Amino acid sequence: MSAEPHILVIDDEPQIQRAIRTILTERGFKVTTASKGEDGMTFAAANPPDLIILDLGLPDMDGIEVCARLREWTQTPIIILSARDGERDKVAALDRGADDYLTKPFGIEELLARVRVALRHSANRAGTQPNKMIRAGDLTIDLAWHLIKRGETEIKLTGTEYKLLAYLASNHGRVLTHQNILVNIWGPADADHTEYLRVYMRQLRKKLEIDPERPKYILTEPGIGYRFIAD
Amino acid sequence: MKSADMRISYLISRSSRYVFTIGWIALVTALFVVLRDELDTTLIALLYLIPLGLISAYWGMGPGVGGALLTFLTFNYFFIRPYYTLAVHRLTDMVILAIFLVVAVAISRLVGRLQASLLAATAREREVTQLYALSSALSASQDENEIVEILANQIQEISHAGRLEIDLAGSNSFSLPLSSANLTERPPELAIPMQTARGLLGEIRLWKTTPSIRPEEQRLLETLASQAALALERARLRQTESRAKILEESDQLKSILLSSVSHELRTPLSTIKAAASSLRGHAVSWDSPASAELISAIDDEADHLNILVGNLLDMSRIESGALKPKREWNILSEIVASVLTRMRYVSDEHTLEVDLPENLPFVPVDYVQMEQVFTNLLSNSLKYAPIHTNIQIQARAEGQAICIRVSNQGPQVPPEHLERIFDKFYRVTAADRVTGTGLGLSICKGIVEAHGGRIWAENIPDGFAFVFTLPRLLDGAPPPQLPMDPEVE
Repeated sequence: MSAEPHILVIDDEPQIQRAIRTILTERGFKVTTASKGEDGMTFAAANPPDLIILDLGLPDMDGIEVCARLREWTQTPIIILSARDGERDKVAALDRGADDYLTKPFGIEELLARVRVALRHSANRAGTQPNKMIRAGDLTIDLAWHLIKRGETEIKLTGTEYKLLAYLASNHGRVLTHQNILVNIWGPADADHTEYLRVYMRQLRKKLEIDPERPKYILTEPGIGYRFIAD
Repeated sequence: MKSADMRISYLISRSSRYVFTIGWIALVTALFVVLRDELDTTLIALLYLIPLGLISAYWGMGPGVGGALLTFLTFNYFFIRPYYTLAVHRLTDMVILAIFLVVAVAISRLVGRLQASLLAATAREREVTQLYALSSALSASQDENEIVEILANQIQEISHAGRLEIDLAGSNSFSLPLSSANLTERPPELAIPMQTARGLLGEIRLWKTTPSIRPEEQRLLETLASQAALALERARLRQTESRAKILEESDQLKSILLSSVSHELRTPLSTIKAAASSLRGHAVSWDSPASAELISAIDDEADHLNILVGNLLDMSRIESGALKPKREWNILSEIVASVLTRMRYVSDEHTLEVDLPENLPFVPVDYVQMEQVFTNLLSNSLKYAPIHTNIQIQARAEGQAICIRVSNQGPQVPPEHLERIFDKFYRVTAADRVTGTGLGLSICKGIVEAHGGRIWAENIPDGFAFVFTLPRLLDGAPPPQLPMDPEVE
């Protein structure tokens, strides 16, 4: 990665392009914009960016398809932008390889946080050793030793609970769709059993969260999935 | 092949009547010949009338008149002297013979005609019954497919067709293959148009296995077709009418919506515009507390606008029937928790009490839509309840349903408004005193009803409560069991 991360924004609305470009340039990113899916894919191939911000509602083609076609040849993180009620589209794009999503209208802090998480995960994938020790508030999750602690006290988890937490924590900051989690923890046959997640997330929150009714670590992304928040 | 067989059997049944007539007369004649010496010629002539009457009554006019002519010959041949010739010598015999002929033919014809009209009357009665059955079945039906199906069954009952097709103009065709034989290769025996004053609605096509369609059968089928055409037209007119009514209502609704919405949208927009322009024009300096205030006003009002637009979208989706809940097994407390997390910043002035039993079963709901219901009910409660009072969320399983209450210590609502507060744009207080699109509660109602539940409001001793129910089964099934979990690693 160069000193100045390169971000490609594919969005057909000039106002959004302008806002994102202004803010990201101000924060030290190099920004390229494209207003059509085809153009975006061409730019991405000609000058590979470090991150792609992709609007799902493009004039020339379906954003989900752009996402799938980019994934055929690149692992560059993709953050999708979509309208409030596009849960189905968001899930489809995430399951087709997008890394994260933002719902319009979004706050700039939210956008920057997503960009940071996506860049970090792509750096991990690129070979740097992934972090085996994850901290969230007073929680420590030691993936090497399968050890969860609050302060100095160990928290006992069942096998499934541990697998679930380890998966969430090693992807901390990223949204994981229901299907993604179910397939990774229970296997493809159970991909539709959202109720497993509901039960296990409740159990995990009871053991991990200080106030399980107002969780701070395991966040629900309504209609999409879950996100683990670490420090 | 089959139709040829049937044609032959039909011919046999017709000609057999004549054969039986001849046999019957031969039998009677033989009996009379034996008794010839005991009986008077006149008496024999009279006795001959009995079998003739019976023949006409049972087998109709043709065999009756034929029989009369035959009897005339046998009577002359066997019973008028000289026997075994057709010659007649005596004048009396000639008179007897003439009278016999006239009477026999007359009786046969009369009895035969009576028989025929009796048959016709029975057939008419059947037709009338069938027509009545059809029209009463049709009058109850408003659905095109149902009308066509009723018609098809009725036609089948009458015509015993091999194959029946009903083709509606501008719609799908309905066919009823009734025999294994593939009959569509040849053209239909009968094609009846379904015609009304407004035009051709369709066509009925019949393939028969019996030789031909009798004229009265065709007439009846045509009557049925026009009855059905009328019923179809009636159904279509009714549809058009209700569509027109809906359009008119939605037009009215749109104008209310536009006036309410433009007012609601303009309020946050004015705030944003004022704040942004004063920051831009350096009316306030960037590092003063006033600028922080303005910036947070812009942010808050933008959120408010977003909620308004979201409500409008939801409402239009509910109205158009496009709101299809994606029902999945969810835990109510998770939904409530995520709503409360999101609403924390608005609920500082009230105490929220959540009472959801630990053992509360799974509820089959759309997570996002249920969040919306709780958000709207809570923000409504927050808006009307005085500050520093309690707002309570409770849930209980009650039989086949889950009953959820959101209650507050706000002012009671006059009973006449209780039902109407879920109507669009309905407000108990004057519109300028509270903000909001007046859509929140009707969205709740739309969502709860799309889930198969019910929502209502009631006054409680120290305030006011929203209550809604949700079914506990998903497609008739209880929540699934979870797989075993291996113990601690």
